[in-house]
Amino acid sequence: MKELFPIKQINGFVFSLLLTVVALSVYFMDMSYEWGMTILLITAFVQAGVQFVIFMHAGETKDRDVIFSTLFYGVFLALAAVFGSLLTLVWDMM
Amino acid sequence: MKLNNTQPLEYSTEQNKINIVGFWIFLGAEIMLFATLFTAYFVYENRTGTGPTGEEIFILGPILINTFLLLTSSFTIGLAIHAMRINRKKATLAFLGITLVLGAAFLGIEIYEFMTYYHEGATLQTSGFTSSLLLTLGTHGAHVTFGLFWGLAIIQQIIKRGITPQTANKTFIFSLYWHFLDVMWIFIYSFIYLKGMM
Repeated sequence: MKELFPIKQINGFVFSLLLTVVALSVYFMDMSYEWGMTILLITAFVQAGVQFVIFMHAGETKDRDVIFSTLFYGVFLALAAVFGSLLTLVWDMM
Repeated sequence: MKLNNTQPLEYSTEQNKINIVGFWIFLGAEIMLFATLFTAYFVYENRTGTGPTGEEIFILGPILINTFLLLTSSFTIGLAIHAMRINRKKATLAFLGITLVLGAAFLGIEIYEFMTYYHEGATLQTSGFTSSLLLTLGTHGAHVTFGLFWGLAIIQQIIKRGITPQTANKTFIFSLYWHFLDVMWIFIYSFIYLKGMM
């Protein structure tokens, strides 16, 4: 039975629950918008990293360079779309 | 068919390796799909018109339950892949089954949430905020729904054919998809729900 629950996966699970709770602090604690967003950005991206590397085994074969290039390209375009649109459509209107 | 025994079964043939890399490239495109939805949401977040705002319709309880369900299902499908790699067919099937049950529970709560939104007057047509919100959540929910049927087909194939290079490859790719949905949910949890209730 024990061999079915590797410690790496259990640690990953506990760590991801922990990150969820840390993110939850922005709801229960009284903090500024900037601090709240900083905490959420850090917890969300670390959480994504945990999933990709621990659970999805992104780095375990020699195809890792292709996999990480695709991921970083996707994330770069995602950030460009989100922040570019915020910059031109929301922030300059305030 | 050339078998390489130094790596797990799902990578054991050239075709298998290519399938996995190909699926990662698809996931890269999925990141961009969700990025466009998040972009629309962030732009329209405060355009609530006469409809409700996020603070008025978001309820923490179901959101936390859903986050826990999806995180746990991501963990159990990780265990399924581990069991598959040490060639434990029954354990693999059991963990896959638990994953799908958790996924179905997630979907049930999400449908209940959508009904609550509807009764509170937040529909696709209400405001820029509600339409981009429901479109983003709905796209994620549709992915989970598709994943449930995909997972059932995978379970059926493992029962029928056992753990072979082909079924192992399919199961691994399904696990990539499922973990990816969990990642997208984390972003919904952080930047739609928690940000909206902050």
